[in-house]
Amino acid sequence: MGAGHPNPPLPTPPKPQVKALNCPGCGAAIVLRSMGHAETVVCASCHSILDAKDPNLQILQKFQAYTSEIPPMIPLGTRGKLRGTDYEVIGFQRRSITVEGVRYDWHEYVLFNPYKPIRYLTEYQGHWNDISVCKELPVVEFASATYLGERYKHFQSADAATNYVLGEFPWQVRVGEKASVTEYVSPPRVLSSEKTENEVTWSLGEYTYGADIWKAFNLSGSAPEPIGVYENQPSPVHVDVKAIWKAFAAFAILLLVLMAGLDISAHKTVAFDKNYLFTSGDPKAEASFVTDIFDLDGHTSNVRVSTSANVSNSWIYLNYALINQDTGQAWDFGREVSYYYGTDSDGAWNEGSTHDSVVIPSVPAGKYYLRIEPESDARHPSIAYSVEVTRDVTVPGFFGIAFLALLIPAVAITWRSLSFERARWAESDHPPLQLSSSGDND
Amino acid sequence: MFKKLYLAYGLLVLGGTGYAQHSGWSLDRISQLKNIPKSVRDNPGSYRSIYSGYHHYTGGK
Repeated sequence: MGAGHPNPPLPTPPKPQVKALNCPGCGAAIVLRSMGHAETVVCASCHSILDAKDPNLQILQKFQAYTSEIPPMIPLGTRGKLRGTDYEVIGFQRRSITVEGVRYDWHEYVLFNPYKPIRYLTEYQGHWNDISVCKELPVVEFASATYLGERYKHFQSADAATNYVLGEFPWQVRVGEKASVTEYVSPPRVLSSEKTENEVTWSLGEYTYGADIWKAFNLSGSAPEPIGVYENQPSPVHVDVKAIWKAFAAFAILLLVLMAGLDISAHKTVAFDKNYLFTSGDPKAEASFVTDIFDLDGHTSNVRVSTSANVSNSWIYLNYALINQDTGQAWDFGREVSYYYGTDSDGAWNEGSTHDSVVIPSVPAGKYYLRIEPESDARHPSIAYSVEVTRDVTVPGFFGIAFLALLIPAVAITWRSLSFERARWAESDHPPLQLSSSGDND
Repeated sequence: MFKKLYLAYGLLVLGGTGYAQHSGWSLDRISQLKNIPKSVRDNPGSYRSIYSGYHHYTGGK
């Protein structure tokens, strides 16, 4: 912050500073707003570029403007406050580059404050940049440039042409003038060099949202929606992807540690274990029975009921009820144990298992018994099975779900970030590799 | 911001996993019933399981 002129406001418009002259080509009134700072001024009527330093406004160039020419979105003479400093729009030009036969146009606005260096606003398809001339020379390496300690990656090099001008310019502007433009990006900034026959100019731009421009210059309506991704547009996913994956790795390790710790601390107490033989020979006999009472100790935790049966190309189904002897609270569930195997034209096959387990959630401590009602196919009259009840076991599924819950956001963030960067660099001289489409054959 | 959000989210996931395990949650769906009469112990056939009548798999390949 300078002590001499802390963001001095522009003088009250427009009387003392605006100089009215007439175009020597068509006689139309020429307004000079920049108080002697302009090198050239353009007649809006006949499109003559005039020498602003010449008291007679000598005509330097005359160019043809098309009636379809788009007027400036910020009208000349508009005043606004940008980054705390008052500026007036005094010049407007349209420039273009042609890449692979496609012409890309953008607009530049010249901003003036008598106490500050000239500033520019550029606009391309709704993307705006606030640009100022560099104070020192950047250091250029092979595919990068360093300015004020920040490294910028080369984005593109092209020849830019000036196609249309309006207003005042602090340099000798000409329509048709060409410059070799090289741009380096470090979002949200862009470093540009413009090389003409006589000089090289470096400028630094910062991506600015259209809404901020509209607010700064108090423009009516709203800023046009930006199209596509611009070279120095900040990514909406402003994140260090590597840091996210480091965090994921740390969480995955913590999850393993947590699983190991909880598994060690889980009691895994076998509260009941007994073998049975199911005989389905008498259909009238009552199959259901109850077990002895057993204790489930400790805090409220889960209970695993495991069933093993010597099924072989057969099944057994067990209707279970874990019943609290004192409260009458019950957990009702049915489990099937079936195992089939054989051989066919594809070779040997098998499916099912001779073992099954289920975990009952949040069972309070107390005295319990099981009511068991087995069923099976009458063709297999006798099936031996065992039932084991274990208190407080680890549920590995929770850790699998937690792992996915940690992984999915990391993948989503990475994907979003990479997609944006891919779109950004697709427009550069260094596009990312494209997957070829097999359907593109003509 | 995303990193901080992810760190907070990750801690929440770890905390939730630990809480679920400690509280004895399960991924299995089990029907819970109340006020089962004490007579079931003496007469197991008087209890009707809500899963009885289940259609059993009798196949194989």
